[in-house]
Amino acid sequence: MAQLLPVVDTPSRAESETVRTTSDGARGPLRKRTFRTQFRHYKWLYLLLLPGILYFAIFRYGPMYGVTIAFKDYVPFLGVNGSPWVGVQNFADFFANPDFPRLMGNTLILAGLSLGIAFPLTIVLALLLNEVRLSILKRTVQTLVYIPHFLSWTIVASLSFLLFALDLGPLFHFLNGLFGTEIDFLTDPAWFRPLIVLQDIWKNTGWGTIIFLAALSTVDQDQYEAAILDGAGRFQRVWHITLPAIRSTIIVMLILAIGQMLNTGFEQIYLMTNALNRSVADVFDTYVYFVGITQGAYSYSTTVGLFKSVIGIVLIFGTNWLAKRFNQSGLF
Amino acid sequence: MKQTTWNAVNAPFSRRALFGGAIGTAVFALTACNSGSTAPVDLSTVNIMAPFLGTDAPLPGGELQGKVEAATGKTLNINWTPNSSYEDKTNITLAGDDLPHVMVIQGKSPGFVKNAQAGAFWDLTDKLKDYPNLVTTLPQVQLNASINNKVYGIFRGRTPMRTAVILRKDWLDRLGLEVPTTTEELYEVAKAFTVGDPNGDGKGGTTGIMIPKWPGSIGSNSPYDVVEEWFGAGNRWSERNGSLVPSFETDEFLEANKYVKKMVDEKLINADFATADSTKWNDAFFNGKAGIIIDVDSRVAALITLFKQANPDDFENKVTFTGNLTGPDGKLYAHPTDGYSGFLAIPKSSVRTEADLKAVLEFLNAMNSKDVAVLLNNGIEGVNFTVTDGRAILVETETAESKKVTEDVKSFSQLGTSVKGDEFYKVQQSTEYEQKVYDERLVVMAENLKSAVYNPAAPYVSETYVAKGAQLDNIIADARIKYLAGQIDEQGLKDAIKLWGTSGGDQIKEETNKLWQENQ
Repeated sequence: MAQLLPVVDTPSRAESETVRTTSDGARGPLRKRTFRTQFRHYKWLYLLLLPGILYFAIFRYGPMYGVTIAFKDYVPFLGVNGSPWVGVQNFADFFANPDFPRLMGNTLILAGLSLGIAFPLTIVLALLLNEVRLSILKRTVQTLVYIPHFLSWTIVASLSFLLFALDLGPLFHFLNGLFGTEIDFLTDPAWFRPLIVLQDIWKNTGWGTIIFLAALSTVDQDQYEAAILDGAGRFQRVWHITLPAIRSTIIVMLILAIGQMLNTGFEQIYLMTNALNRSVADVFDTYVYFVGITQGAYSYSTTVGLFKSVIGIVLIFGTNWLAKRFNQSGLF
Repeated sequence: MKQTTWNAVNAPFSRRALFGGAIGTAVFALTACNSGSTAPVDLSTVNIMAPFLGTDAPLPGGELQGKVEAATGKTLNINWTPNSSYEDKTNITLAGDDLPHVMVIQGKSPGFVKNAQAGAFWDLTDKLKDYPNLVTTLPQVQLNASINNKVYGIFRGRTPMRTAVILRKDWLDRLGLEVPTTTEELYEVAKAFTVGDPNGDGKGGTTGIMIPKWPGSIGSNSPYDVVEEWFGAGNRWSERNGSLVPSFETDEFLEANKYVKKMVDEKLINADFATADSTKWNDAFFNGKAGIIIDVDSRVAALITLFKQANPDDFENKVTFTGNLTGPDGKLYAHPTDGYSGFLAIPKSSVRTEADLKAVLEFLNAMNSKDVAVLLNNGIEGVNFTVTDGRAILVETETAESKKVTEDVKSFSQLGTSVKGDEFYKVQQSTEYEQKVYDERLVVMAENLKSAVYNPAAPYVSETYVAKGAQLDNIIADARIKYLAGQIDEQGLKDAIKLWGTSGGDQIKEETNKLWQENQ
């Protein structure tokens, strides 16, 4: 997510820059001339824009043409252009499919859990780290909590399998011994979501703190001193100074997280799925893989992917609008 | 990373757009001058797309490739593609403009069927008879590899009978038991292996049968499919009262799964059968966690090798095997595969005319001669193997040259078709004991083949099955596992079978029966 920031940020900033310059002289011919003279004047600087524009045109916008196959019956041999149009048939099939409510439910529940549990935990961890005064300890802990981020999901899944394996895993024995139960965590549908959320927390929470820690480092230290003089305790300082100071960062991160909500993480879920927990494990991402790649239904799976993306965009704009309504600075 | 799927699905288009955009403009100038598109294709070089299963693809200009080129009179330009991404690459290639003359297709996947029915490949049904090396001696297998009796490729023949029950011989001996011949006896042996202290350590911890998480759905030669067939449920489809029914709609299917469930409940089968890692299958057997594996007979050799590596002085009599088992009705229904592993297809957009097709088929005819079959599957005689008594013996002192050839054979064997059965040399096993077991395997499998029950619907591809068959199959495969694990009861399993029917299965049944009846 951290890498996403500049990508989203750059074009919007560039755009607003252009808007500002062109709207400087609001009257028609004048504006035109100013833009042209400006362009001539700065042509070499504008040239620097070219690689970026080309990159987006070729690698981001060009391929989007392929999305048209969501409205076609795509056969690779016939090509994107040669395949027959079928209108919204694929969408109709998808929404009428008995799998649809289940996929939607599973996706939303997992997304909700991740947003409701993993996201606040990141902030809490960042606050905790921020309160550590011993620099060497803080840095050590920071490094340690970053490490899981660099392990691939394959390794995380393998570790989970080792820890929770039936009759062999140490955690399987420990937890079942502690509560006198006989739960097979890896296949029990009731335990699928907790496992996924736990893995998510273990792997991503530490890494997620980076941006919040950066925001925390900009908080005015004088305010803390003033607050201490006024007799504010630690929690009061966090509540009244720290959190308001990083509020805009939290909101930006929240908007981004909500935009990514339906991307539940293909690898993680795919690796943890088996025949016994599939009913709660199937999400849009795994479904697209299963239908698209293993069944060769490219049109249909593109339809599902497109639907997911549209929902993602609606969510981003929706949250942004809400954030602005409540007088917070939005993303754009 | 979160966008994996989206990218994966879009890969064909993004790549295409990329190449189309970048190369398209560059090529435009060239094509403008060279507008005559009906120019004859130059077939002195044959372009081939094939998967490779080893670690490295053979380099062009290798010794083996040179020999194959000399024997066929063509220059080969082979695009070796990693096996794991072969299916994706196939579709990307088909969507592109630069198709090979010969493509290895790995099976009748929905993608291939759609492309073939849209006219992407030559229909070879009436053409093969003119090429002596391409006329099959196994017409049933050719039919199995066809799409509704239309042959779109030259099938790559594989031994159809491979099913074996593999057991720990030392455990049987210690408990004074015989190799089982019926499903009832298999149960008894599994029970004895679980509760009877087969390793003699006085502790428990042994399981009868080991089954790993099965990657395939129904009809993927899983231990479950095999047991169902033994019980008489048929092979995917079964003929009942003059029409075909899916094997899971038969009573025998339920009986077979009740039998397996009984063993699961009594812990004669490993409890983690839904999640166990299949790469640990041999380990569990070797380490004495489980004593029975139901799989293919070639696993016998792999297991013997494991014991041999651990103790070269004492590895005999650790592993034994038998073929298919007699079901409860006293009859033997042996489980065969469809007898092929994909086929070599000829795309129409690269081989445009009948004359070109003839040239390609002549090339494939040469590829399927006995001499080339030996090159593709054994290597170069005198370099990496010698022949004694009709068996290939790998050279003892390996040179860089022989190593290279042996390594290349792993990939080149993917181009072999064996439509007349295997015509290359069988490899001499490294010890007398292994040779003995190998010979036994041939005998048992040949005997079992006589009782093979084939899938009567193998040649037929129903339209609905192409559209959503894999999803529907999963309903049954999941329900079967859930039933065995006790998540659902027998009624639940029956409900899942009903759900299969109402979600589109009934249409598949109707279409398949129609195709089957038309071709009787």
